[in-house]
Amino acid sequence: MSRATYTPATRTPPRAPRLRFGRTPVRSPLGRAVVRHAMLLTVIAIMLYPLFWMVGASFRPNNEVFTTLGIWPSNFTLDNYTEGWTSGQFSFSRYFLNSLVITGLSVVGNVVACMLAAYAFARLDFPFKRVLFAIMLGTLLLPYHVTLVPQYIMFSELQWINTILPLVIPKFLATDAFFIFLMVQFIRVLPREMDDAARIDGCGYWGIFRRIIVPLSLPAMGTVAMFTFIFTWNDFLGPLLYLSRPDMWTVAQGLNNFVDATGQSAFGPLLAMATLSIAPIVGFFLVTQRLLVEGIATSGLK
Amino acid sequence: MTRYIGRRRFLAGASITAAAVLVTAGCGGTSATGETGDGQDTHDGTGEVQGDIVFAWWGGGARNEVTNAVADLFEEANPDVSVSRESADWGDYWDRLNVQASGGNMPCVTQTQARQLNDFASRNLLLPLDPMVESGAIDVSTIPDDVLDSGRGPDGELYMVPYGAAYDALMVNQTLAEETGAGVPPDGYDWEYFFDWLAEAQDDLPDDVAAANVGGGRPNYLIAYVQAHGEEMFADGQIGFPRELLVDFWTEWEELRESGVTNTADQWAEEPSASEQSYVAQGAVMADVQPGNYLTPAQDTMDGQDTGQQLVTVPLPSGPAGSGNVLITSGFSIPASCDNVSTAAAFVDFWINDDEGAEVFSSSNGAVTNADHLQQQIDNPELPELKRHELEVYEQIVGMSPPVIIYPPGYQATFEAAFTRAYEEIAFGRKSIEQAVDDFFAEANAGLG
Repeated sequence: MSRATYTPATRTPPRAPRLRFGRTPVRSPLGRAVVRHAMLLTVIAIMLYPLFWMVGASFRPNNEVFTTLGIWPSNFTLDNYTEGWTSGQFSFSRYFLNSLVITGLSVVGNVVACMLAAYAFARLDFPFKRVLFAIMLGTLLLPYHVTLVPQYIMFSELQWINTILPLVIPKFLATDAFFIFLMVQFIRVLPREMDDAARIDGCGYWGIFRRIIVPLSLPAMGTVAMFTFIFTWNDFLGPLLYLSRPDMWTVAQGLNNFVDATGQSAFGPLLAMATLSIAPIVGFFLVTQRLLVEGIATSGLK
Repeated sequence: MTRYIGRRRFLAGASITAAAVLVTAGCGGTSATGETGDGQDTHDGTGEVQGDIVFAWWGGGARNEVTNAVADLFEEANPDVSVSRESADWGDYWDRLNVQASGGNMPCVTQTQARQLNDFASRNLLLPLDPMVESGAIDVSTIPDDVLDSGRGPDGELYMVPYGAAYDALMVNQTLAEETGAGVPPDGYDWEYFFDWLAEAQDDLPDDVAAANVGGGRPNYLIAYVQAHGEEMFADGQIGFPRELLVDFWTEWEELRESGVTNTADQWAEEPSASEQSYVAQGAVMADVQPGNYLTPAQDTMDGQDTGQQLVTVPLPSGPAGSGNVLITSGFSIPASCDNVSTAAAFVDFWINDDEGAEVFSSSNGAVTNADHLQQQIDNPELPELKRHELEVYEQIVGMSPPVIIYPPGYQATFEAAFTRAYEEIAFGRKSIEQAVDDFFAEANAGLG
């Protein structure tokens, strides 16, 4: 693959246009800050309102969940949390544990496997590289539903139903073309001179990967980890198909257990557990966000 | 039980179904779909009751609890058997079952419903159950014949033993109806009365309450309307009623909608699918067609609003040919790929006939079809009042000898979807009624069968 052109970012960013109200520009920096923050807060409030509503509704009695669009519960109760956590054959501690195991393994698998695949596509020379790359990108075009049934038959023949293998093993085989593509694009812009320098110092392919590529690719790895975490944590169809035994349920399946389209649903406990289930995502996002910033800061070359 | 699936969910489900069908068709005759083809295996269901079986059903937490309890009773009665259980909510249940079916991996005891049954039966995925009934492995003598027949396929074979019967009913806000002076429709009221009743009630209702939800796009109303007029829904895998009947049906509803007796088409299109969020449970409309067992959750929601309003269900309107209220039965099927048929048959037999099991389950999924159990439950003083009402309306409908509909394969994916869409085009002013009827007949007939 030809060497990617690398242009250092020397352009100064264009200056933000001055805020205006009607025809009068706001001159005072304090006034500008107030206006900007007020606008941002308004947008945030609108975007987060459904989330706040969910949290508020989780403190309302079950049959009052849908009675109001307001946030503050008039009859405050914690019953939804206590009932929700222990409902079903197994409690939510079991579902959280299952979800964490699957998500943790998926994150590790995706980051390691996609990184290795991306390194090969971005830096190594081997026969049919372009064809293989095109095929890999081609898999992005296949809708999930097309491969669903053949995959199910394959895993069923392998006797992998009701194990976490169908959800985890593919992640270790770099099957997520999008993440590979993302990392390839990232590695391509890293300067080759550093590879050459490392080679002179005695590094082989593996050494370059470990000592040069990986440390410089932390932001990309953080992105992949974050997306994998969110996708896997929220995945419902995969566990639905492959983990049907209640003791293997993930959080998403546990939440599904509150809903019954053919009878009575328990919306209060559902919203309470949904509130808890987004906590790991928010936490993971906060952690990886710091990693992203650090990654960019330490790889000052970019 | 009937359910109105959201559009996105429907598309996802439809694409999975389509993919599953493609693969099933491609693998026909191979081991992936079990014993298929002309030389279909039969089994009389007798034999040793031991080993493992997988049992799958749809439902949420409350139903899972009682279902598990019955399965536990079966395990107690048969210590050599272990029943592994799979449950999921309605839509997800079918998504998974379609994939399992294409993988030749259906659960040995699979819960099915009359409306989807023939999607599976027509692909030879299910065992005919008549031999098991004849051999005595499954005793169905307590189930009324009309009800049992709803588990038959187009070929007349029994593919599902119905254990619970749901029905559609007219859910009426009794408090509002009595305030307007129109009252709750009397026994045996007909469609003419129904439409007049709505129009009359509307005059005295508060401004923000409509007499009814828009009804032209609801297959549940249509089925009752067609049957009450003495026509067949389906004949030879095609639509069986004349197009004029549908023109009349939609004309009636359009007149109501245009004169403001129903809410608007926009509101109808936006109605959420959960029973708790339905307009009639929220007090936004006075009457709507709802599954009979929604009475309890809907009243519960009503109570949460502190308006003191009471809901009640009555059978759907009758017509020249009597009642058109059909039963929608849920039951158990045994797939052709099952490797432990004798145990599966014993499980089905246990579920239908065990007194303790029926008491524990307490008609959680439609009224119990076993006539003895039904009487026991109605007589049980501990049964909640709304549940008793649900069972009594079922008894009333069975007493009117409800018509049995054999739903052709593709019913839900083709017929219901096309029907709702066709009416939307009328309600949103894109097509005339005549044109929508013609297009609907063409589309539905092409997709059915």
